[in-house]
Amino acid sequence: MEMILNTVRMVDHDQVREYVYGDEKSLMENLAIGILNPEDFKNLNLTPSLNIKLSSEFGEVIVRNNRDENIPQGLIIMPVSIWANQLTGIKGKEPIYKNIVVKLEPTRDPILTFQELISCIKK
Amino acid sequence: MELYKFLPKTNCKKCGKPTCMAFALDLLQGKVKVDDCPPILEAKYKKQYETLKEMLGGEEGQKKELQINVDEDACDGCGICVTVCPVNARYCPPSLSGKAPEYPPEEHQLFQVKKGKCELLNLKYCRRLDAQGRERECRVCETYCPREAIKIEYT
Amino acid sequence: MKRNTCSGCSLLCDDIIIRSDGIFIDEVIGACLKGKERFDQTTAKNRILNPMIRENGELKETTWEKALEKTIEIIKSSNNPLLYGFSNVSCEAQLKGMELAESIDGFIDSNASICQGKILDVVNETGITLTSITEIINKADLIISWGANAAESIPRLLNKTVFSRGKFRMTGREIKTLINIDPVKTASFNVMGVRDLALQIEPNKDLDLIRILMEECCTADSIPSKGVAGIDKSDLKRLLLHLKGAENGVIFVGQGLLKPKLDGTNIIKELLDLVQMINMKQERGRISLVLLGGHFNMAGFDQVALSTYGRNGSLQFKDNQLIETQDTIISKINSDDFDSSIIVGTDPISHLPFNLSKKLCTKPLIYIDNKKSATYEVADIVLPTAITGIEAGGLTYRLDQVPVELNKILNPPNKIPSDEELLTQIMEKL
Repeated sequence: MEMILNTVRMVDHDQVREYVYGDEKSLMENLAIGILNPEDFKNLNLTPSLNIKLSSEFGEVIVRNNRDENIPQGLIIMPVSIWANQLTGIKGKEPIYKNIVVKLEPTRDPILTFQELISCIKK
Repeated sequence: MELYKFLPKTNCKKCGKPTCMAFALDLLQGKVKVDDCPPILEAKYKKQYETLKEMLGGEEGQKKELQINVDEDACDGCGICVTVCPVNARYCPPSLSGKAPEYPPEEHQLFQVKKGKCELLNLKYCRRLDAQGRERECRVCETYCPREAIKIEYT
Repeated sequence: MKRNTCSGCSLLCDDIIIRSDGIFIDEVIGACLKGKERFDQTTAKNRILNPMIRENGELKETTWEKALEKTIEIIKSSNNPLLYGFSNVSCEAQLKGMELAESIDGFIDSNASICQGKILDVVNETGITLTSITEIINKADLIISWGANAAESIPRLLNKTVFSRGKFRMTGREIKTLINIDPVKTASFNVMGVRDLALQIEPNKDLDLIRILMEECCTADSIPSKGVAGIDKSDLKRLLLHLKGAENGVIFVGQGLLKPKLDGTNIIKELLDLVQMINMKQERGRISLVLLGGHFNMAGFDQVALSTYGRNGSLQFKDNQLIETQDTIISKINSDDFDSSIIVGTDPISHLPFNLSKKLCTKPLIYIDNKKSATYEVADIVLPTAITGIEAGGLTYRLDQVPVELNKILNPPNKIPSDEELLTQIMEKL
């Protein structure tokens, strides 16, 4: 299913707070997440224990899901983090962080941890 | 308010309170009983009388305490409750222009932001206990909190 | 008790009360959650206390002499170094960074060029009306928040601007009107009252709204009856009435509006034209703009570059002289036009797109900051510095371009130098 992605700053899912107070496990729990509207959640036959796989023209990533009724239908938001930036990219000289077209599907594959993502970047 | 809707709303003052709204607030706090309103015992108000008795149930006449609860997980320390509270505005001059009040806190100050979260100091001078007339309906701290972390309850 | 300034975000509140014994901080009164996190970084468990060098794939602690020696070795053997960051440090340190770039023929840039810097390129032609926070407290009667979520990114902003009682607005909240334009119903919508306006616009349709407002300012009654961009006709009429009749209005512009469109049209130029047209037609008031930013000294970098070198933003040096360039940090990394990098006070691996992070890791990387982060895991040399605002002082610029001085409250542990002292040491050894 096709949706539009926005990467935003949120108080509850903040990167700097996890670096200061948390550790790598709480970093993955709080930041590798995508939030969508409850109607879309129902139409995709999702459950809270399934993961979702998002792929855009720049890359793909697997995160867990959550619901919030303040989000309009057709939109999915993610906090700014190293997981969200697998889907962002550049056009010309400008970085694109909002209004990216993504394809979404439920999956049972596991989420990559912080250290595994870092070693993907170093290769 | 839910209870005010079922009272006669004539402000006849036969119960000893200045308005029906003040009677409704005291009814909620358990300071008076439904039977203390002479007009409502008449036949034309029978339905309202029975609805009020049912709503209050067995808790009628038991004195209830005012409690203002601040949810620690939801609060993010923005300080809107400190600026908007009318008691803080009257006794702590820096909070008029949005600044943090002095420390140690002044006797009348209700809210203070400490360690990044809102903290309630004391309820002695809150408008819901201390004032007269329409000022007793004060709910500004609950209405304007952006994270909905403040709740006013009677237990 | 004495009041201090907090360096948690770009609002730089100066009414914080701190109680400390010179070694630890005991009590913090008045600061929001982001400020408290900043003060907690002094004793966080992920703080770096000694310099480190990567050997055989692992980071190992070492002495200052060895770390500085290896740093000089990397800089001397590179012809085209890159310097990035500089928005979490004081203005004096930013000036030292520019002098270092000048002496090693490097390219220096700050976070502002991917966050707000796009506005400053366009401002040269049309001009921009700014305002200060004190003016908003005392005189504003209309506040519009477009594409910004002030309640979650700068928590005390709504407290200071909307709820305060200023000299000419003594009744405070009752006389100020707040308008919110955003596709998602965020926490900022919870402070609305009966006179305020909440507009939930469709995603990616801000340009349509700006264009219809501009047409309406010139003629009248050409609004389509089914509304525009998800907003219906009556709400649009109220918005226009408020815009034309405000005595002193402010628009808070956030990241939601500053993003570029995929087909290349420029929203910022049209927004500045709209504000200028409304100001020309106003009889008794004006509308100004405020840009909401993240790090606390993002505005300072452009001010220092403009007053020292005559250019705002990205500076490229060759043969110890400034040359004209159209490059930004994105184009330099994307075209692999560098052979080493020095990162000061920021975390590019976490906020740059994935492909750029991969390219950044292929060359030697020197990391200068006070805490561990994603960039720490890929760096080759790590040099710790003191926290600006708590363990070192300096000058900074607020989000409304007002200079604020920061004081030193504690001594740094292990005699760690500040950013300014470290950059001076590197320059002297070269």
